[in-house]
Amino acid sequence: MKVFFTILICRLLRFVGKLIGKGSSFPGQVALKLCPDILSRVQLPAYIIAVTGSNGKTSTVEMIAHILQKNGKRVAWNREGSNQIEGVTTLVLGSSTLGGKVKCDILLIESDERFARYTFRYIKPTHYVITNLYRDQLTRNGHPEWVYDALADSICDGTQLILNADDPLVSCFGQGREDVIWFGADKLSSDTDTLQSAYNDGAYCPVCKKPMTYSTYHYNHIGHYQCTSCGYRRQDTAYTITAVDLDRGEMEIDGKYRISLALKSLYNIYNILAAYTVARIVGIDGAEIAADMSDYVLKNGRVITFTLGNRHGTLLTSKHENSVSYDQSLRVASAFKEGCDVLIIVDAISRKYFTGDVSWLWDIDFEMLNCDNVHQIVLAGTYVNDLALRFEYTGIPAEKIRCFADINEAADYLGNDRTEYIYAITCFSDKGKLLARVKED
Amino acid sequence: MKLLHLYHDIMNLYGEYANVLALRDILRKGGADVITEKKSFGEAVDFADYDFVYVGSGTERNQKLVLEDFRRLEQGFREYVKSGKPALWTGNSFEILGSSVTDASGRSYDGIGMFGFRTTEQNKTRDTSDAIFEADFLDRPLVGFVNKCSEIQGIDQPLFRVKMGLGNTKDGTGEGVRLNNLFCTHLTGPVLMKNPDFLVYVAKLMTAKALEPNPLAENGYAITLRELSGRLENGTN
Repeated sequence: MKVFFTILICRLLRFVGKLIGKGSSFPGQVALKLCPDILSRVQLPAYIIAVTGSNGKTSTVEMIAHILQKNGKRVAWNREGSNQIEGVTTLVLGSSTLGGKVKCDILLIESDERFARYTFRYIKPTHYVITNLYRDQLTRNGHPEWVYDALADSICDGTQLILNADDPLVSCFGQGREDVIWFGADKLSSDTDTLQSAYNDGAYCPVCKKPMTYSTYHYNHIGHYQCTSCGYRRQDTAYTITAVDLDRGEMEIDGKYRISLALKSLYNIYNILAAYTVARIVGIDGAEIAADMSDYVLKNGRVITFTLGNRHGTLLTSKHENSVSYDQSLRVASAFKEGCDVLIIVDAISRKYFTGDVSWLWDIDFEMLNCDNVHQIVLAGTYVNDLALRFEYTGIPAEKIRCFADINEAADYLGNDRTEYIYAITCFSDKGKLLARVKED
Repeated sequence: MKLLHLYHDIMNLYGEYANVLALRDILRKGGADVITEKKSFGEAVDFADYDFVYVGSGTERNQKLVLEDFRRLEQGFREYVKSGKPALWTGNSFEILGSSVTDASGRSYDGIGMFGFRTTEQNKTRDTSDAIFEADFLDRPLVGFVNKCSEIQGIDQPLFRVKMGLGNTKDGTGEGVRLNNLFCTHLTGPVLMKNPDFLVYVAKLMTAKALEPNPLAENGYAITLRELSGRLENGTN
């Protein structure tokens, strides 16, 4: 009876919450109060797939759900992105019968990397995808090794790990395990022989701390690494990006499946690969997945095309306090051959908590914008001075840079009679201030 | 003049290299010839060659490796500090200069022993906060951020007074420590880039001149102080 009432109340609260547009954590929070072990008292489906990591969780989960649903699977997933235990509880109870049976083939959970250890105490994933571990919101999360330790506590016996082989820290989770499924990229045409980043988190082996070398870099410290001392090295992959052409917007997986890219970024191809890997494991045919992923436009609002005056542009939502996320967006802008202007806004550093810390600006490789493809750079927001100071060290000529403390003034300026395409790079916390001034396509 | 960025490739979690750039550029604007050098594990360092030494913050594991490596450099650094030349150690780097560091598992590492304080780490919560610190030797407070998982006991004369943020101990109002012109603080990241007064102060120790900070740094500082002070007054921190 306790299970019945807890599920009933959770579903009622969720129903009311949806009507009034409230978040999805509260019903789960109440359910956990009423019945703390509710998650271990419901009947779960055969597949429980969890996805975590610093970047790309939400996009990867959306893509997995898209492919699985296209292929006739019933999927329950936390599309609202409420990825802590309360949100996951809402998801599970919201998808179950009042008798406690979850009505789906696959439960798909995006999990916050700091809280996974609490969530998975009650729901043991059958498959656990870890995408990457980067410097991410250090003011709240702590550094990647700290997050690694927290995640290590969340890995249950009997869970199949699915790991990004190209991330040296993530790959450590597979140390001493026989049954890990690895995904990653072969040497790609977009690779570099030397590191392209403001810092090197692949300088030292995460296992023995002796120097590492790379035979190729995909981006930042993601690539083919090997330790010079203990033999730790990038693993061979079961699911692999075998080629990519970002100019044409195409990728190839496992040597035969070609996917055309709605977003021409390396991030996107990794998210697609992770989704492909999961779908293959669930039993979906490779050609089907490629068809489902071709030209797939994410619905999570991270990439938005817009019109400002007579000009067209794309907002690339990038995470403040996450330099790899910024670097990815800067790479897209700097590769735009037709020539573009770039707008960067740092106004509220987070939407979830307060901080005035701008140290992370120095970890971003803004030097990438020092190229012919980028014409004018507009910096805006409360922390525009800190941005401008950082840009003094990029070597970009001062006459290419305009600064506005007021985002509206920056938008007025950009709505001028120039014709260049606009790439706007900013975070969840600040993107609304720009979107209020543009017309979304 | 020569500036040394020591353990540049492993104690660098928060863009700390910018500290060396800030000092280099204010000295250059004052007319000095300045070169910067980076050194790390196993490399020979003759501290007598340098006019400034910087070490930034790292992970708990990396700090322990640096502690072991630094033993071979310890004597030279003691003499450097005794000479009165300036050095800055930020984040958890300076913890190794105390008498011991005890990690979350309870294992204790002997420190370098330039100070008597003892550091104890835990692995449950990350203690983080924006910071406003006051110093006797500066007119305006410092702004910045603290991100740590340790407490430091046994500092009687701290470097800063905490107006906002985290001190050496959970209940204390003192932060950091100073020995001659060795400045140690748990502030992370580009402390000198963010705090023009502190930068000018360090540059004056080196040149005896009152040099002009970058106006962008000055404006950025004023806005950050405004934002943090507003937060402090609202009692929301």
